[in-house]
Amino acid sequence: MAKNITVALAGNPNSGKTTVFNNLTGARQHVGNWPGVTVEKKEGGFGHRGYNINVVDLPGVYSLTAYSPDEVVARNFILKEEPDVVVDIVDASNLERNLYLAVQLLELGAKVIIALNMMDVAESRKYKINVKELSRLMGMPVVPMVASHNKGTEDLRGTIVDVVEGKVPADGAYLEYGKDVEGEISRLEGVIASSPLARRYSPRWLAIKLLERDEEIVGMVKEGAHV
Amino acid sequence: MMPLSMASRGETVRVASIRAGWGFQRRLADMGLTPGTQITIVNCQRPGPVVLGLRGSRLVLGHGVAHKIMVTEV
Repeated sequence: MAKNITVALAGNPNSGKTTVFNNLTGARQHVGNWPGVTVEKKEGGFGHRGYNINVVDLPGVYSLTAYSPDEVVARNFILKEEPDVVVDIVDASNLERNLYLAVQLLELGAKVIIALNMMDVAESRKYKINVKELSRLMGMPVVPMVASHNKGTEDLRGTIVDVVEGKVPADGAYLEYGKDVEGEISRLEGVIASSPLARRYSPRWLAIKLLERDEEIVGMVKEGAHV
Repeated sequence: MMPLSMASRGETVRVASIRAGWGFQRRLADMGLTPGTQITIVNCQRPGPVVLGLRGSRLVLGHGVAHKIMVTEV
């Protein structure tokens, strides 16, 4: 029997998530709704190398803080549904801003593939992107694409399965925040490690979010403290 | 130093500071607007939003928000 894989598509607004979604799933998509939140989610599927791959198109976000409902939806899906792979659709013509989200996904502990979309726009702006080096620095696979012309779709399908099968590492590079912040992170990590929350979420990620004064996480930790 | 809302169309400025709470500062940082960023004012006609060019992309803010961002001429 075919194995099921869940893939989440994340990315900045207007980076081509839905185009990639349509390329991946073809005509087999249907539209669904998140309970309670007025943000639309699309779901679809395709088969590849003996896997049933379920694709979830998440709302476009700049980051995974708890600033807006769409950010919370995107974050909670990745945290609570734990998709096998997160594909971060990155606008290659706007790397700097887009990679910020990639770093946030990596800190969440997700397995991330960077789909480097709009390579044609980047080239027309005379940008030269060293895909291999980017992949090495980020610690995740990078697939160059031109989704509007359906280029790179097969590569992305293959890379998704490669990551699931453990053939390609996608755990991400370790990001250091410097001596002062790291000191605080490890102090908090030590406290969190003994709490039941640590079984569900990475203590390091919780510590970073607490330092950011992330409302949702602060609330969750406070609640957890009473248990 | 002046508020971004006072800059004129076509001008290039650098962000000096943001006079807002941490939540809003964070939101702007998420979108790439941090102290030190160079900004070109694409449009700032009233009525209408302030259209900015920064880090190779465009960002649209309200005049009220633009008033909280302090910039220096480049």
